[in-house]
Amino acid sequence: MFNLVLVGLNHRTAKLDIRQLASFNAEQLPEGLRRLSVYPGILESMIVSTCNRVEVLASADPQSDVVSSIESFLSESSGVALPQLQTKLYRYRDEQAVRHVFRVASSLDSMVLGEPQILGQLKSCYSTAVDLRTVGSALNSLLQWAFRIAKRVRSETSIGEYPVSVSSAAVELVRKIFGDFQKISILVVGAGKMGETAIRHLADTGAKAIYLTNRSPEAARDLAGRFNGIAVPFADLSEWISRVDIVITSTGASEMLIDRSMVQRAMHDRKNAPIAFIDISVPRNIDPGIGTIANVFCYDIDDLAAVVEANFHQRAKAAAKAEKIVDQEVQAFCAKAKSSKVGPVVQQVQGRIEEICKIELDRYLRKIGPQEAKQVQELETMISRIAGKIAHPLVIQLRSQPDSLNQSAYMDLIERILKTKDAPE
Amino acid sequence: MGWTLFITIALYTVGLLHSIFGFCQKRQIFVQIALGMVACGFAFHTLSLVLLSVQRQHFPITNLPESLCFFAWCISLTFIIANVRYRSNALGAFVLPLVSLLTIFSQVIWAENREFPAWMNSGWLHFHVSVAFLAYAAFFLTFISGVIYLIQENELKEKNFRFLYFRLPSLKVCDELFRRFLLVGFVSMSLTIISGAIWAQHAWGHFWSWDPKETASLVTWGIYLILVNYRFAAKGRGRRAAYISIIGFASTLVTFAVNWGLHKYL
Repeated sequence: MFNLVLVGLNHRTAKLDIRQLASFNAEQLPEGLRRLSVYPGILESMIVSTCNRVEVLASADPQSDVVSSIESFLSESSGVALPQLQTKLYRYRDEQAVRHVFRVASSLDSMVLGEPQILGQLKSCYSTAVDLRTVGSALNSLLQWAFRIAKRVRSETSIGEYPVSVSSAAVELVRKIFGDFQKISILVVGAGKMGETAIRHLADTGAKAIYLTNRSPEAARDLAGRFNGIAVPFADLSEWISRVDIVITSTGASEMLIDRSMVQRAMHDRKNAPIAFIDISVPRNIDPGIGTIANVFCYDIDDLAAVVEANFHQRAKAAAKAEKIVDQEVQAFCAKAKSSKVGPVVQQVQGRIEEICKIELDRYLRKIGPQEAKQVQELETMISRIAGKIAHPLVIQLRSQPDSLNQSAYMDLIERILKTKDAPE
Repeated sequence: MGWTLFITIALYTVGLLHSIFGFCQKRQIFVQIALGMVACGFAFHTLSLVLLSVQRQHFPITNLPESLCFFAWCISLTFIIANVRYRSNALGAFVLPLVSLLTIFSQVIWAENREFPAWMNSGWLHFHVSVAFLAYAAFFLTFISGVIYLIQENELKEKNFRFLYFRLPSLKVCDELFRRFLLVGFVSMSLTIISGAIWAQHAWGHFWSWDPKETASLVTWGIYLILVNYRFAAKGRGRRAAYISIIGFASTLVTFAVNWGLHKYL
């Protein structure tokens, strides 16, 4: 095939410290590519470097040992001793390399299955390599195909759809109750770390208003300033519950801040309009019994974990589908790559044989003197037919090789046989 | 069976399959195709009803097959209008089976044109029956919205994040659909009773005769009056509203089925 080679490490094979040493940031990447392309046998190359993986993808000369070149390159640029580095690297060739690239692009190899960033990162590494002209037809066609599949996986499976962080799961849950966030107001009680992530997610949804309250007014004001919200006094908690649609508690308090009677009163005041409570404090700040009140929805951290788990399960199902799509595409890509190599070689074979026959024909005609045009034509037709008959079985054999290894060997052999016939008379 | 109706059934059925597939697999493209097919099916359905009216020289509600066919058309119309506003995958999966079944069933029991009394051929009749069927269709969709709401609310309250949780629309959307269908249904039902009374006066000489269908429709109207009051004036929401709509729909079915007394021509 194209003689593709991929060598690299990711979050599964190497810990963060090694990944950090091996990685190339935006400034280092061009220099790395330049140094890489100097190594013998590397015809095309590309470096993929993100916080979770560093990989070198190359199209190589079949005769050279490109894998060791790449390993030396990585050892040199990371400063990690070669033997130590080698235990962390994975090496793929040809079809396996294609599969790996496709899986990475479709976020199947990511730390968080289905995450959307990897495609952008891959594209940016690719465009750097394009700018430096280290990619050629092989890597171009591979990467373009990979980007297409990533899109296909995203649209045909729901791999990216299920939020798997606790705060985005909370947002999704609330969305299932309230639909869109435009008319929603939110009250955040406390300011624990978890609360901050949740607030950020909610602030991004475009809610109508965010109110913040805390036992310490300064903390409330500080948070309010950061998230464009309004600080309200802690003492008015029960009043504020009836005014908002979502209440999030994330305090260090050990007693119940919101109990059943408070909520019942609030529901009466808000005429039974639905309300959601999300309690991410440990220990709980909200009496879980309020869940039995009509139109009250109450979720604690275990429930959010259950949502995340259910979402992970859905992602895994989507991933199974995505793997099938990747399989299909790998077959399609390899078949195409195979056939496109074979075409020109077939042409070469037939052309070369015809050329040989023509040389002999000319010599024959020179020997026996000029002939009638009709005779010459007959002879030329015969020549074509001979060339065809010799080439035909070769072509059939070439095209019917089941795997790329045999096929390359065949093509190699044929090309070498034909070249030796080129020796001058 | 006319070719138009054949195409209609084909389009509805294929649209139904796409809708269910899109619902289960969560693929928007199938739901959109489904909507397109149903819309085309609806166009052919309209055409077939028009042709039927022209051929038989009367509004197509004189016997059971015709009424079922027309009823399916009403549901189809209400469904398409709802989808323009709320692209809900779930609605199609729940509603389209009935549309297809009704249309197919109406063809299965298709009967020849029947003679009917001259007094039936009046504008009031056409209006009365049309809004009646529209009301039934809207109440059916109210019922479906209520059911979807109940299922989704159950998933959320019981914290069951399973198959349906992922596919059903938000409670807010369920509630909005519920509200709108309820309103359309109630207004239509009111118009039905009023137009019925006016026509009765015109055709038979008295506004109200307490015949079974009239009584049943009044009961249905009463139930929905309670529901409208509960939902809009008292701002009651959630489960109770859905439960009342189930009772209301049961009553609607009875009203539709009751066909003796003055309404016995069906």
